[in-house]
Amino acid sequence: MRIRLLTIPGVLAIAVTALAGAEIPRTPDGRPDLSGTYDIATLTPLQRSPKYGDRLGLTDEEAKAIAREEAARMAKTNQASDPNRAAPPVGGDGSEGAAGNVGGYNTLWIDRGSGAFKIDGKWRTSILTDPNNGRQPPMTPDAMKRAAARVRLAGRPNAGEAWWVKEGITPGPYDDPELRPLAERCLLGFGSTGGPPMLPVLYNNLKQIVQTKDHVMILNEMVHDARIIRMNAKHEPPDVRLWLGDSVGQWEGDTLVVDTTNFTNQPALGAASRNLHVVERFSRIDEKTLLYRFTVEDPTVWTGPWSGEYIWPATDQRIYEYACHEGNYSFGNILRGARLLEAEALSKPAGSRK
Amino acid sequence: MKKHPKSIVVMAAAALGSFALFFAKVAPLYAHHAFGAEFDPGRPVLLKGPVVRVEWINPHTWIHLEVTKDDSTKVVWMVEGGTPNSLLRRGLKRDTIKPGQVIIVDGYQAKDRSNRANARDVTLTDGRKFFMGSSGTGAPYDKPGKDERR
Repeated sequence: MRIRLLTIPGVLAIAVTALAGAEIPRTPDGRPDLSGTYDIATLTPLQRSPKYGDRLGLTDEEAKAIAREEAARMAKTNQASDPNRAAPPVGGDGSEGAAGNVGGYNTLWIDRGSGAFKIDGKWRTSILTDPNNGRQPPMTPDAMKRAAARVRLAGRPNAGEAWWVKEGITPGPYDDPELRPLAERCLLGFGSTGGPPMLPVLYNNLKQIVQTKDHVMILNEMVHDARIIRMNAKHEPPDVRLWLGDSVGQWEGDTLVVDTTNFTNQPALGAASRNLHVVERFSRIDEKTLLYRFTVEDPTVWTGPWSGEYIWPATDQRIYEYACHEGNYSFGNILRGARLLEAEALSKPAGSRK
Repeated sequence: MKKHPKSIVVMAAAALGSFALFFAKVAPLYAHHAFGAEFDPGRPVLLKGPVVRVEWINPHTWIHLEVTKDDSTKVVWMVEGGTPNSLLRRGLKRDTIKPGQVIIVDGYQAKDRSNRANARDVTLTDGRKFFMGSSGTGAPYDKPGKDERR
């Protein structure tokens, strides 16, 4: 299975690794030394834009255009605002996604990196390399139904009203703190930042690796999730389930191979199930760069496995604590707000509810 | 039906719509928490006043500012800003925003109707952005020899 999934770029990367092998830092026992702090932010998306089809690489001009576009966007948003501006529009500002019709996730928050990434000197169109179109395989019919149900609950436009009361949905999405998303509860970072697979997100993209002979620890800046990888160990029994899964590692030549199973029913990787199985491969390709490759399998969600790869450049930036719980006022605001909207909805005659 | 202190909450018709749509294109589907769950699109606010204190706290900073109402009484609002990690990488620190500094904030009030809002745009009185985005994760505060922005 692993051989079948190995991509041509992956083979090239291994060749690069082998060539660079003599020059990389090593631990006293001769293993590649992966320890350090890495900034994994990149503008290259996980999934490839359909406009590139099966094309793996960007041209220099395309890569420059992406960097220019990002720089121009930053410059534009840094321009002064009208000091006599009015409040934003009643009814919302039309922003989508997490900005939820009220705005907020502007450039102040964003550390997505300044360009695409290169492997073997070639810019990439996507992190995902297998299937060849750089897209996740189709979901199974059951997984599609579950995803649609999630969107019905969580994907509602924000109209500032208790729509779940109006529609008689029980339990409502705010009825129990434990029904709220793990990121909102500060239990895991959003996106698949802690993974596995560990993927770039909007900000807090620093990773710190601490390596010993028996354990490898990967600290995620986002929500301070720490993955503990036990070397040359067996997986925990199937009834042991962990937020970040159970990770065991072994060396295959100069590559650290990490196998992760035993997820809960809410892995960090969106849409995945408790049957998720991830294999990651960490290779040091030079003194300042790791190559990170991964393969995802979850037959209850996707109709086939999928794989990707990108580089982790070392950084001299500090990784900061992100003790999400300490001031998560937002969670209280959200639950109190829901109670108030529910009371309003219930106090209105049925016909007058919007 | 919805009551707002007129001097501090100004209803607006359009003005910033295109600005917001611009950001919408880069906003992720998933984030730490959805602002849409916390803030009410029916209650836009424009707040102006001196900073009282800054809570330099994870996951998001909260700036307290004192706003004077029409009847001359004062009320303190809290506005939700960026994560301290991102701010540090912009060269901002806990004491960068000094108490007494007058700022202008636009956003939407929390759904629980407390005096809290999202800091959609925070500027000084001349309109200059207080929070500046930067391209990449360049961290001036981290690198020796670079001046911190004050």
